[in-house]
Amino acid sequence: MAKRIGLFICWCGSNIGGVVDVPRVVEETKNYPGVAFATDYKYMCSEPGQNLIISKVKEHNLDRVVVASCTPMLHEPTFRKAIARAGLNPYMFDMANIREQCSWVHSNDKEAATQKAIALVKRALAKVSQVEPLFESSIPITKKALVVGAGIAGIQVALDIADSGHEVILLERESTIGGNMVKLDKTFPTMDCSACISTPKMVQAAQHPNITIMTYAELVDVQGYIGNFEITIKQKARYVDHTICTGCGLCTEKCPTKVLSSFELGMGKRKAIYIEFPQAVPNKPVIDPDNCRYLKNGKCGICKKLCPVGAVDFEQKDELIEEKVGAIVIATGYDLIKWEEIYGEYGYGRFKDVITGLQFERLVNASGPTNGLIQRPSDGKEPKTVVFIKCVGSRDEAKAKEYCSRACCMYTAKHAHQVIEKIEGGHAYIFYMDVRTPGKAYDEFYRRTVDEGAQYIRGRVSKIYQSGDKLVVMGADTLLGSAVHIEADLVVLATAMVPTEGSEKIAQLAGVNIDKDGFFIEAHPKLRPVETMTGGVFLAGACQGPKDIPDTVSQASGAAAKVAALLSNEEMATDPMICHIDEKMCSGCLVCKEVCPYKAISEKTITERIAGQPVERMVASVNTGLCQGCGNCTVACRAGAANLKGYTNLQLLSEVDALCR
Amino acid sequence: MSIDTENKEFYPNIVGFTCNWCSYTGADLAGVSRMKYKPNVKVIRVPCSGRVNPAFVLRAFQKGADGVLVSG
Repeated sequence: MAKRIGLFICWCGSNIGGVVDVPRVVEETKNYPGVAFATDYKYMCSEPGQNLIISKVKEHNLDRVVVASCTPMLHEPTFRKAIARAGLNPYMFDMANIREQCSWVHSNDKEAATQKAIALVKRALAKVSQVEPLFESSIPITKKALVVGAGIAGIQVALDIADSGHEVILLERESTIGGNMVKLDKTFPTMDCSACISTPKMVQAAQHPNITIMTYAELVDVQGYIGNFEITIKQKARYVDHTICTGCGLCTEKCPTKVLSSFELGMGKRKAIYIEFPQAVPNKPVIDPDNCRYLKNGKCGICKKLCPVGAVDFEQKDELIEEKVGAIVIATGYDLIKWEEIYGEYGYGRFKDVITGLQFERLVNASGPTNGLIQRPSDGKEPKTVVFIKCVGSRDEAKAKEYCSRACCMYTAKHAHQVIEKIEGGHAYIFYMDVRTPGKAYDEFYRRTVDEGAQYIRGRVSKIYQSGDKLVVMGADTLLGSAVHIEADLVVLATAMVPTEGSEKIAQLAGVNIDKDGFFIEAHPKLRPVETMTGGVFLAGACQGPKDIPDTVSQASGAAAKVAALLSNEEMATDPMICHIDEKMCSGCLVCKEVCPYKAISEKTITERIAGQPVERMVASVNTGLCQGCGNCTVACRAGAANLKGYTNLQLLSEVDALCR
Repeated sequence: MSIDTENKEFYPNIVGFTCNWCSYTGADLAGVSRMKYKPNVKVIRVPCSGRVNPAFVLRAFQKGADGVLVSG
């Protein structure tokens, strides 16, 4: 049967029509072989435009359609749906991009633009002459999500997904959930106690019937695709059987080994068998194998002897657990930049009384190592003069990171306020580059701190050195144009946020891209901020870029909404533009298997009858769920048995021919 | 190939194969940014530069293209 192509050329108002002579394009292409109807219209994507296509398909009995308009990225789905409404297979369609790749870039030469538009339309006509109906298939969705990282972002994502009725695995590599937020003292600008607002959420997550918390565990493998991921989790040995441990705490009390606590950022100590902090979830200890005397030397074992329920198990081994999930949310958060390795002017970490903002949080925290008394690490004295230095590692192209870490201006204002409030006769000096306080009630908070007496000095610090028990801070006041010397008791650095250690590995496993600084890249910075370019993988919190708590929580809820929408479907449609192997032509060499980046090709044995006898032989077989339609196999196949639906050899060759004519 | 005999100028006809996910979108971005370039290059959208069979390139030259751009 002869092909009956419908050709619809769009003016896009003056976007195309102002440059390309649209009626002439119609005139020059309407006699192309197979074109049964051709017309132009002001706005083809509008409702009357779509109705025009539908009515002409029916009126002229068209069997395939070309629309020449904007980029297919924008309206290919729109027009496919329109021709489906007209009763055609939606893949009996092609578009000519005569706006982004013609009228907009050649507006200085209208004649040439018109000629090119004619060529581009002919290319689309050549392709559409070769298209065949394609059919979407569907795959089931595993209605369970994995959340990697259980800081405030991960907890919020897990709670929101769980509340929408889906199961969630909340994965955390530390022995407790809570992340960085539980280390903080107060939160700006409301001065809510951080633990008071975050620990109830931790408990809520632990008690939610849809949430399975896996702490002290890491993601080690991800296979599969959107809706059907197969993940492997390594449960690290805790050496304590949490199914029988009651969390009585006798073991931690009696353990003879004391080491610096990472939770306290080296400001306090913990035992070798430990619970990170009193409100930890789960509130049961783990043994640190690097410091436990029994695990290192086979001596001690006092915890095992004392445990009233016999929960200590030195024989415990790491365990691999396999799970199936439909969606993955990455919420791996941030670390602070290792300033000690970069900033010689601040002493490379030699001075005990030069600390980070997060360490200051522990100092001022009632449940911290000093019970909330601000005491400097070197001698435990209360500091009277505290100097804050902002943008340490942030906005420093030369030595560290280009970006602004966003939260530091506000937490430094908070710290200055706490110094003035808690220390009698306390002075706070803040060296800053700019003060950035965009956020609800943020600038008001900063102003209040200035009014309380915090002294903001615009300039950088060039050197810190020890003089007696004082730290001399040498800086510049660029507003006064003079040098500044301050004899400080304590110096607090507002260090840059960087992606947490190991996030690169998570990116590799989940197949998500990271930017030059290691932050995960969202699918679109404005319109798809919580999705990634990998279907079924979403982002929340500071792993995507530096953020404060309100932004993190909003983004987490956004990601959860996306996951809930995905998991609310029983099954999902798959793209039909995937590889097809012609078994008659396939020799079973499996070169295609080698080049497939998605591991979608495997071998399969078929039985053929040759001279009346059944003969078994091997051919390549495509997993339609895994194939992403890249077409690498089609080029590798020497027999020409592999072909890509929607981009067949014949279609591409006819496009080449059309453009070379 | 077309040669303007009066000005002795050469207008090569260039066939481009651009990956749907990067270069094709890049060409769109050039349009959105209202950049200008010569109209000699005409693009065929492919799902991946790995889809470009060398035979397509040869076919283009065989049929008279002066240049082929594969980008992805």
